[in-house]
Amino acid sequence: MNSLLPSLLQIPGLLMVFGAVLVPILPHALRQIWMLAVIALSAWLCWGIAPGVHMTTQLAGLDLILVRADAITRPFALVFHIAAALNVIYAMHENVRTTATAGLAYAGAAIAALFAGDFVTLFIYWELTAFTSVFLILISRSERSFAAAMRYLLMQVSSGVILLAGAVILWHSGQGLSVQTLDASTLAGGLILLAFGIKAAFPFLNGWLQDAYPEASVTGTVMLSAFTTKLAIYMLALCFAGTEILIWIGAVMTLFPVFFAVIENDLRRVLAFSLNNQLGFMVVGVGIGSELAINGTVSHAFAHIIYKALLFMSMGAVLHRTGTAKASELGGLWKRMPLTMIFCIIGAVSISSFPLFSGFVTKSLTIGSVAKDGYFVVWMILIFASAGVLEHSGIKIPYFAFFGHDRKFEVKEAPVNMLIAMGIAAGLCIAIGVAPQLLYGLLPYAVDYNVWDAGHVLGEMQLLLFAILAFVFLMVRGLYPPEIDSTVLNTDWFLRRLLPRLTMAIARPILSVWFAALGQTKKLVMNGLYVGERASQQTGLVSGVASTGAAAGIFLAVFALLLLLLFSM
Amino acid sequence: MSHSSEKPEISPAAKRFIIALCIICFGLTVLEFVIHRHAYFALEGRPMFFAAYGFIAFIIVVVGGIGLRKLIMRAPDYYEAGDDHE
Repeated sequence: MNSLLPSLLQIPGLLMVFGAVLVPILPHALRQIWMLAVIALSAWLCWGIAPGVHMTTQLAGLDLILVRADAITRPFALVFHIAAALNVIYAMHENVRTTATAGLAYAGAAIAALFAGDFVTLFIYWELTAFTSVFLILISRSERSFAAAMRYLLMQVSSGVILLAGAVILWHSGQGLSVQTLDASTLAGGLILLAFGIKAAFPFLNGWLQDAYPEASVTGTVMLSAFTTKLAIYMLALCFAGTEILIWIGAVMTLFPVFFAVIENDLRRVLAFSLNNQLGFMVVGVGIGSELAINGTVSHAFAHIIYKALLFMSMGAVLHRTGTAKASELGGLWKRMPLTMIFCIIGAVSISSFPLFSGFVTKSLTIGSVAKDGYFVVWMILIFASAGVLEHSGIKIPYFAFFGHDRKFEVKEAPVNMLIAMGIAAGLCIAIGVAPQLLYGLLPYAVDYNVWDAGHVLGEMQLLLFAILAFVFLMVRGLYPPEIDSTVLNTDWFLRRLLPRLTMAIARPILSVWFAALGQTKKLVMNGLYVGERASQQTGLVSGVASTGAAAGIFLAVFALLLLLLFSM
Repeated sequence: MSHSSEKPEISPAAKRFIIALCIICFGLTVLEFVIHRHAYFALEGRPMFFAAYGFIAFIIVVVGGIGLRKLIMRAPDYYEAGDDHE
């Protein structure tokens, strides 16, 4: 035990989980310093870890690999630490210990998971990310957020259980427990892919993301946006690189959220759809599996975490100041929150892949790899989805929040700490966009792709500028759809509506039969009591007391059965 | 935000933005005939492919969204209100 704790503290990320224990008892200012110090120390630990196995242990006869790094681990670990630090700065104005504790532990668990070398260790961190992050949703303290948090937890924990089931089957088949390249067509591989797919928000498994993230607190949503889904992308890249089905799954992921985002009114939910769309590009890269594609996925995840956090931060600042993130209630904030508006636009042009911003130098690698490998239909879908990204994240978010109809909000600019966090994120978006070699140097393979090719830049500019022209055309003609306060049905509908209805549809006839039988039994017992009473009066053979006792026994048995049935439902 | 039947008034700033955008788009069209674009696919090599695809894709996304709204848009309290609001 004496040697165990120092060993555990050497695990990157786990240091942050342990560090979170002190967060609730520290005064506000000291807490901020402590959290940033722990994150910096964890980042320093990560930086010294070269690819390979570094720490192992044995538990119940299982060989566990506590620290193992791959060629793609370092960029993911670095950006997770950057996101964790940005989250601390962004939330400095609030004195909410739960958010601070959960946020630090959640980021730490996700970072520790990056270094997990076997599926059992991964399972532990996988579930730890779920149990720590759920507090970021619960902290909103509304019935709505509580319900969303429970659905979120259900999906996340289910993902962990499926992962464990896959790991057990893998171990049983003699392949060991280490994180390894897997075949999705085997049972173990399929289950593990499903587990990753839930966290990566694959089509039809994505409802939890748009359901839960916008229900979290202002700062909680920013924290949530960085880790869970990108951890899943990282694991997909480690275990399923080159799995062709992922190309098509990813293509669908890039496509469907853009239509949902058009009609969604809650701008933080629009960003959650946008997040789903961006994950699609990364999944396509994993599916292609070439060096260029993996570089594309890793660099895109890196850039995406920063610009998506920036967009969520800007909408969080708007929500913090105005009390709403609904497009139908917002507009004209550029006068009141000019710095937030500038940062938001930097995030918007980054995600839209404008040259000189981070999205361009990273997404180009993935789309280039798709073209290089000759996937014409997928390439067409990704280009189409790029226009969709521009629609919801590039135009809709900044337009409806800061321009559009002026709602005459009398609000102040965002708090200084929020502006600093947004400023750092915006600076990183520009730095990566202007000097991509800074990021390319972290990638697992040498980048053999010229993003600055004049023809490529021209094509991208034509795509984006003519798409903006289409927006102007629709606006001028009055054809752009109005923002309406509404609920947009998503795949969480299956869990929230269809499943309860199906359960009731099945349970109703069973209950009808049950209660009919119960009625008949009651009738029989009552008749028995009546007959017994009469017989007892006439012959004295059947005691009235005995009959009453038997009837009570039958009722008790029936009641017990009923309880059993109810609890087993 | 106006409904589809109404045409919104265009402010002077918006007019300036639209004029600037049109000039840039014209410039990008001219550049198409100056700069060679390396193409992996035959369609990609067609003149103004990205411009046309960007414009059309944007329209499809918006029109598709409008169509989808008829199918999946419900009252704001849909889940809280139960079955009555469907």
